[in-house]
Amino acid sequence: MKRKLRTLFVILTILFAALAGRLLSINRTNGEEYKKQVLSQQAYDSREIPFKRGTITDAKGTVLATSELVYNVILDSWQVNSGTKSDGTNPYLEPTLQAAAELGLDRETIAGYIKDHPDSRYYIAKKNLSYVDKTAYEDKLAAPAKKVGNIREQLKAEQEKPKAEQDEAKITQIQAQLDAANREKENMDLVTGIWFEPAYIRSYPNGTELSNVLGFANNSNVGMTGLEEYYNSTLNGTPGREYGYLNDESNLERTTIEATDGNNLVLTIDFNIQSIIEKYLKKFNDEQADKVREGYGANNVGCIIQDIHNGDILGMASYPNYDLSDPYDLSRIVGMPVLDDKDNPTDEYMTQEDVDALTTNEQKSRYLNALWRNFCISTYFEPGSVAKPFTLAAGLESGKMTGDETYYCGGSLEVGGWEIKCHNTDGDGVLTVDQAIERSCNVALMQMAQQIGVEDFAKFQRIFSFGLKTNIDLAGEARTDSMIIPADKMSVSDLATNSFGQNFDVTMIEMITAFSSLINGGNNYQPHVVSKITSPSGATIRNIQPRLVKKTVSESTSAKIREATLAVVAGANGTGHSARPAGYMIGGKTGTAETYPRGNGEYVVSFMGYAPADDPQIAIYVVIDRINDSPQDQTGKATALTREILTEVLPYLNIYMTEPLTEAEEEELQKLNLANTYAYNADNIGEAPVELIKNLDSDGDGVMDSVDGDGDGSADLEMDADADGVMDCVDTNGDGIPDLFDTDNDGVVDSKEPPEDVVDPTILPKTWTQYERDPVTGYFINPTTGLLIDPETGYTYSDSTMGEDNAGATVIEDNAGATTPDTALEEAGTAGAGTAVNTEAVPADAGGGNDSGAAAAEAAANDAAAGEAAADETAEGGQAAEPAGSQTVQDKETQTQQPGSGPVEAQPVTAWDGTAAQ
Amino acid sequence: MPFAAEKQDMANQIAKSNIRRRQPGRSAQPAHLKFGGQSTDYSMVFIVLFLVTFGLVMLYSTSSYEAGIEFGDAAHYLKKQLFATALGLGGMLFMSRVPYLVWEKLAWGIYIASVILVLMIIPFGTSANGAKRWIYFGPVSVQPAEFSKLAVIIVTAMLITRCGPQGLRYLKNCGLVLLPAVIQAIMIYFITRNLSSAIIILAIAGGMLFVAARDYWRFFALFGLIAVAAVGAVALALETSVSDSNFRFKRILVWMDPAKYADDTGFQTLQALYGIGSGGLFGKGLGQSMQKLGYIPEAQNDMIFSIICEELGLFGAVSIILLFAILTWRLRDIAMQAADLYGSLLVTGVMTHIAVQVILNIAVVTNAIPNTGVTLPFFSYGGTSVLFLLAEIGLVINVSRTRLVMSKPADRRRQENRSGNRRSHAKGSQSRA
Repeated sequence: MKRKLRTLFVILTILFAALAGRLLSINRTNGEEYKKQVLSQQAYDSREIPFKRGTITDAKGTVLATSELVYNVILDSWQVNSGTKSDGTNPYLEPTLQAAAELGLDRETIAGYIKDHPDSRYYIAKKNLSYVDKTAYEDKLAAPAKKVGNIREQLKAEQEKPKAEQDEAKITQIQAQLDAANREKENMDLVTGIWFEPAYIRSYPNGTELSNVLGFANNSNVGMTGLEEYYNSTLNGTPGREYGYLNDESNLERTTIEATDGNNLVLTIDFNIQSIIEKYLKKFNDEQADKVREGYGANNVGCIIQDIHNGDILGMASYPNYDLSDPYDLSRIVGMPVLDDKDNPTDEYMTQEDVDALTTNEQKSRYLNALWRNFCISTYFEPGSVAKPFTLAAGLESGKMTGDETYYCGGSLEVGGWEIKCHNTDGDGVLTVDQAIERSCNVALMQMAQQIGVEDFAKFQRIFSFGLKTNIDLAGEARTDSMIIPADKMSVSDLATNSFGQNFDVTMIEMITAFSSLINGGNNYQPHVVSKITSPSGATIRNIQPRLVKKTVSESTSAKIREATLAVVAGANGTGHSARPAGYMIGGKTGTAETYPRGNGEYVVSFMGYAPADDPQIAIYVVIDRINDSPQDQTGKATALTREILTEVLPYLNIYMTEPLTEAEEEELQKLNLANTYAYNADNIGEAPVELIKNLDSDGDGVMDSVDGDGDGSADLEMDADADGVMDCVDTNGDGIPDLFDTDNDGVVDSKEPPEDVVDPTILPKTWTQYERDPVTGYFINPTTGLLIDPETGYTYSDSTMGEDNAGATVIEDNAGATTPDTALEEAGTAGAGTAVNTEAVPADAGGGNDSGAAAAEAAANDAAAGEAAADETAEGGQAAEPAGSQTVQDKETQTQQPGSGPVEAQPVTAWDGTAAQ
Repeated sequence: MPFAAEKQDMANQIAKSNIRRRQPGRSAQPAHLKFGGQSTDYSMVFIVLFLVTFGLVMLYSTSSYEAGIEFGDAAHYLKKQLFATALGLGGMLFMSRVPYLVWEKLAWGIYIASVILVLMIIPFGTSANGAKRWIYFGPVSVQPAEFSKLAVIIVTAMLITRCGPQGLRYLKNCGLVLLPAVIQAIMIYFITRNLSSAIIILAIAGGMLFVAARDYWRFFALFGLIAVAAVGAVALALETSVSDSNFRFKRILVWMDPAKYADDTGFQTLQALYGIGSGGLFGKGLGQSMQKLGYIPEAQNDMIFSIICEELGLFGAVSIILLFAILTWRLRDIAMQAADLYGSLLVTGVMTHIAVQVILNIAVVTNAIPNTGVTLPFFSYGGTSVLFLLAEIGLVINVSRTRLVMSKPADRRRQENRSGNRRSHAKGSQSRA
């Protein structure tokens, strides 16, 4: 027995030793690994603290998008159940359910959840409780405690009174009140397991307004389309974290890293202008909706207003739009065109049944994406006649045209074997350049294009940035590079149709940006909608300055374009009369483009203009894509929409009226509550700032066309002090030295001292003006290459472009360094009988004749003289055989005869409304 | 009536040798047992008290974090354990005063009481962690399995004594001796789903039988059989796919590769290993465990040894194993010096109980065997366990203080004189064995 006991003991001891060995081996083999493992799994309940996504405000501070602090109501049923006593009752339950009901939660649901998930510690019972509701709830919880305190004080006051004054009955009554309040408080103290977790939701206070530009952000702070997508990373901040960790002494410490909120955006868009645009787009839609077919007033309507001096977008809207608070609302799809396989619109339109039939998410998202698309930047289309000013500008700028040509329109022109008709098939007769634009004559434009030639036409399309992205700071800008015909592939018929805006595609933003540069003197600014990025505390982080991308045309060309487009609205036969708002004069160009495929009666009508005519400040572009009307080519709808918008926008911009008002117009303004404030008044002129450019009407035609820098009533000479092509100084006394300066290039003279960085142009002329002059052409000669340089623009011509026939067209005065073309274009009119083919011409400075500095020579009388200078008369004379007809200008501007397999067919299929290339 | 032949045999022997009790190595002289004949084995008492105190300290260190979170009182478990320990110390004093022969007479009664207590789980038991193991008597919960262990010690010792070492030569007698333990084990396994308690009960009875019997081969054969069965079970578990295997098989799979089941059942085992491995030689210091902060669930129960390793390191852990080894050694000596076979077997039973439970617990914590819920004596949280363990220690004290007294009063005085030099007496008796 003892032996056996010893044996047992030995066995047990061996087992003990084996276990000790096992411990040793665990420590030896895995000790380090396990040590790290233990430390690595110490992830003490860390909690993410949400950041606030930045706010988007308009230029005036109106909030367009913001993130609101809300609270999620969290239910901790484990905590509620921890009050359960052994007899099954739970004193916490009833008060907690009452509190939950107070928060608007369903009592039964909460009670059921607590019962079914007794151990749940985190259940989001309600999302997005507003701060107000949360505070109200907390006040309600705290109210009984407050009540107890108040009653206590009352009781104390009563008890501290002298014995004689004490009222036993009152004290008993207060005592009873106190007891009741205490019971209530105890009940409230039992509320447990409900707490609040902060969160942010994106809120768009203005609903549908600006929806296509803003885009929206989803719940995880990811921007979808528009600004929200483009500036996603700027708007987003960094989430914070609250976490615990073990310090050196293995004690748990809590640390909080606060969230960094996102940055804010300040837009160039003025919400008031935006609202005006949206109001009239909606009005247009309401008038046109369901007219011919069930559905929206047009496939798309878009409008952009841009500040021409810096590229700022002041307003940008398209219709149909959507509610930013409910972007997934499918009801807005009703009335949109049915999409084909490639997401291009068809001629069918969505009905409610069609929308109900959209079952898969993929189908829905196709249509929602079409709805969310910003028409103004994402859709490309053939611009139509609004492209005509660009053709003219290309002609003038390339030197192939003088601006004094006349053209004969016989109703159609044969190009490359095809007869291309004018919209007025009877023919417009003999037209000047301005008249061609005014009447929107296709034949004249085709002749201009022939004059320009394929090479220069394509080159200037490039200069105008057609086919290039504008790089506007919005997500979803379309690529149009394949929609432009390069020079080597451009046939004569392509050239002809391109001249009046068919057969190449552009986006609205491309078009208005290029147009702004035509109007403002040739400065092409990158368009943008954000002017400033500010930190969460409001400090400016980044100012987004206007960015000058390139020079497109010279000031003189710009002036000619302004003149020609003004005639569209002001001229006797202009197509854009109806675009002029009451009290103002504007310039612009109408457009009617037949969509592809041709001949099915579908059109895009548009109006692109600048305002006011005397001192252009803004450019506006209105496009109506396939109006819900018959016929569709009613350009008047676009001009009417433009008029409505400008009637309100121009007074808002504090632009003074220049035109007398008719009684009807006054009545109209009165209705809009605008009349009294801004009605035309001659006295206002004195109060207006001294304008640098064109504030005198030298020829009495009602158009301000010359400069009066010192306000003495006589015309002064404009000069370009820093040789950037923008007139920025004035010589008031005619001594050739500028004495008033426009230091900030805004067109207003504001200083008697030149800006510091500007050198007097009379002392240091442009570099190329130091070269030798070509005695024949008057152009400067580059000594190294031998090429000719345009004295006005500095443009270097290649040898081939300088035609021999132009020799002697301009007389040069070497000593003064100035161009004084006093015999301009005598030979111009001698060209062919019906058509003025003026292949090469020195840019005309017909009314020059002053002896000032080289850079200034081109300038002042350019506009004043146009159309009246003697030189022009020769040109007119050449065409005198045909009377200047007074044919009515028809709305239908474009009537392109298209053969089934003609050269035009070779062009890329016009993907109207096609998917944005991005 | 079982053991009729043995009883007859025993009676004959008593008559022949004229002693009432058989005691190995005692001369065949007329004698009786007398309590208090020897002084208490203080070294054993000291070790037990040290383990109990140390256990309470570790229990507080281990449980305070979870108790603070769950009950808002860091000392929640400590207080309950202190109460049970106080009760247990009372029980120990009581048991050390009651002559152990009383238990021989009451053996069947105690056994039946334990059976009834186990059966009471079926209608009145409270379940925790998926198994019904506790009965509430008012606020006090009792784990009947702990009482069963004591009852099996008492009844098995009685049966072996009645049977006698010679009777154990017969396999049938061995079976009969083991029968109450087997019944008890089966009941506990099927009623409380507590495999470990069933194994411990069988191990206690088996250990007592091993000590009482004179041969080895049957036990080696039995061990061999158990080993083969274990290997077979592991092989079977590996064959069975995880999805349809029951939880016992799954535990085997987890044992083979705990990291593979880290998200599930292997979590506890793996975390225990992390605790052991991260302690190093001297540990992170008392109270500095990280694993107790929620990683080892209910660390104060079965996995307390892992926290001890983490906080006190290899040094502390081996010290505790050493303490238990010393306790086993003391118990062995007391068993050897017990006045009679019954007393010796009682102590053997207690020794086996404590040693087996310690070995199983540490083996589970170190993942040496598949996971099964065994508590570490004196350390793990559990009032019933510490109460009955201390009662068993009381029993051992009683055995250690009881001596064989010759019939003659004169002899008695002489015995008493000799008791001053108990050690030499013990040696003397050993040499005669």
